Amino acid sequence: MNAEVKRAPIRPDWWSKTFAGAVLGVTLAFALAGVFAWAGPGGIAAPDKSQFVMWLIAPLWLTVFGFVWLFRSGIQAMLWLGGANLLAWGLLFWVRG
Amino acid sequence: MKIRSDILRVYQAVHTWGGICAGMLLFIGFFGGALTMFKGPLERWVSAPVVPVQQLAPAQVDRVVASVLAQYPAAREEFTLHVTRHEDAPAPVSWQAGESGHEIDLGLVRWQATLDGDGKLAVTQQQPSLLAELIDMLHRTGGIPGTLGEEYLGIYVMGVAGVLYFLALVSGVILLLPTLVKDFFALRPGKNRKRFWLDAHNILGITSLPFHIVISFTVVVFAFHDQFYDGLRGIVYRDQPMFAPPAIGATPRDATKLLPASELVRRVQRQAPGFEVTELLYMGVESPRPIVRAAVASPRHLVQAAETGFVIIQPYSGAILSTSMLPGQGNTWSSLVAPFFALHFGSYGGMTVRWLYFAFGLAGAALFYTGNLLWIEKRRKNQLKNGPLPAQPRRTANIAAATVGVCLGSMAGVGACLVAAKWLHAFGAHGNGAYLTVYYTVFLACVAWAFLRGAARAGSELLWTCALAAAAIPATSLVAALVPASGMWAHTSPATLGVDGTALLLAAAFAWAARRAARRASDGALDSVWSAAPAPAVVAAEPARRVGT
Repeated sequence: MNAEVKRAPIRPDWWSKTFAGAVLGVTLAFALAGVFAWAGPGGIAAPDKSQFVMWLIAPLWLTVFGFVWLFRSGIQAMLWLGGANLLAWGLLFWVRG
Repeated sequence: MKIRSDILRVYQAVHTWGGICAGMLLFIGFFGGALTMFKGPLERWVSAPVVPVQQLAPAQVDRVVASVLAQYPAAREEFTLHVTRHEDAPAPVSWQAGESGHEIDLGLVRWQATLDGDGKLAVTQQQPSLLAELIDMLHRTGGIPGTLGEEYLGIYVMGVAGVLYFLALVSGVILLLPTLVKDFFALRPGKNRKRFWLDAHNILGITSLPFHIVISFTVVVFAFHDQFYDGLRGIVYRDQPMFAPPAIGATPRDATKLLPASELVRRVQRQAPGFEVTELLYMGVESPRPIVRAAVASPRHLVQAAETGFVIIQPYSGAILSTSMLPGQGNTWSSLVAPFFALHFGSYGGMTVRWLYFAFGLAGAALFYTGNLLWIEKRRKNQLKNGPLPAQPRRTANIAAATVGVCLGSMAGVGACLVAAKWLHAFGAHGNGAYLTVYYTVFLACVAWAFLRGAARAGSELLWTCALAAAAIPATSLVAALVPASGMWAHTSPATLGVDGTALLLAAAFAWAARRAARRASDGALDSVWSAAPAPAVVAAEPARRVGT
């Protein structure tokens, strides 16, 4: 509780956080949608599924973008989202075979 | 709920800048969107009665189709059978040269065919009104002209505005959370203008939040779906087909062997019980892949397009080719996507939802307008007790003028287009060629006027302009009804009378707002951007005001 109160205030870091949300957010959304396309229900060849996969990108991206300023600093945002990207892309390459 | 002040500060900035950058564009998008809920009635209202609306028996319609196909090769590429007929589509069959393209062709000429008194084919050439299409385009592009690649530039700009809009929604909710319970629905009128606008802004935002979230993210999808698909094709699907390729027959077809249209309507009807078949779009009847896209409407279902769902049928065998755009009969994936279209277009629940979306659209426009007012009030330099009248920052005055000019100008421009449609016809011209000129002239004149006169004076003057433009809509119909020799028309179907009635109500609302704005300009606080009093040194006699109001 006390540690929470004493924590340094979050820094706006407008450029780096906005970049993280806009760019790393969209690449993360593509990778996650891709993983869902291959490994989600029905697999890659399910009819009409590609349209749903496309629709996934915007909400995933916008959610990341919307909350990106909660990271304590721009560096933190880049590191966390960069890491999430590596993980998601690795997973995509793995399920894509 | 408690939220740390540092988070609130950051999201306050996100909210303000997202809102200010996208607000005016979104105002036009929402106002245009509200109008497109009644695209049909608007199109009917502006369509001159060249041919009377024809009610023919199904067998007669079949004869029209057969005769048209025999005599007009252009129709074999694509033609529309209007099963339900209205003022804007009075004849049972219509077609145009070439296929209907992606972009709006203002010189578009259409042929329509029906039977004359002797039962013979009667074909007339006609320029269909494109006003509703143009309002829809205003809604989708914000009125930004130009193209980028194969798409309108404005659609991408609107997509970016959609992203900013989503960010403004998230940050707005975060800002409201701490005081949500206390302040919700507390509309505090009275001396403190800023408080009042903030309460109004919060009520509008929170009560329609689900609507706004859906609109914001569907806008982003609509703007960037090509890029999203390209990205998925490149990195996710690669060699996997994204869409099942359509089956193509081997031989060209003979149009004389088509099933009668009435039979196709019957089969679609059987496939879609509870739906009304409104039109059949025949595509490539002599090609190896002839299809008919039947539009089906129902107030009880979510449908995929703006107004109807679709059934795809083979016109020679009558085989149903696809029901994936028919509500309730698509597969799991398409039925997961369909609601998002419907939730954007308001194409469910019939007239009730159309009116609801109309109200939501206007309320959304008001959300951005009040947001800008708050930005302006926040940056207002207050007069200190007995102090000299402060000069307002240039930037604040500019945003105020732009808000008034752009928002009110877009509404006055659309109103003027409707009125112009009938008056131009009276003078022998067609509206299509003039709509863009009329809209941009009125719009740009309003913006210029706002900057010339300043926000305070222009505010009420432009509201009077909007009231005048709106009132001119039913007034024109009245003139047309009273003076038939004018060459104008007044349709009397409930849908078109609804256009006149709604315009009259809006005119009253504009007039009311104009009087309020004028009163604030003359009697309101002198240190406001909305005060019409010149900002001179005659401040000593001013009554004292409290700081911070």
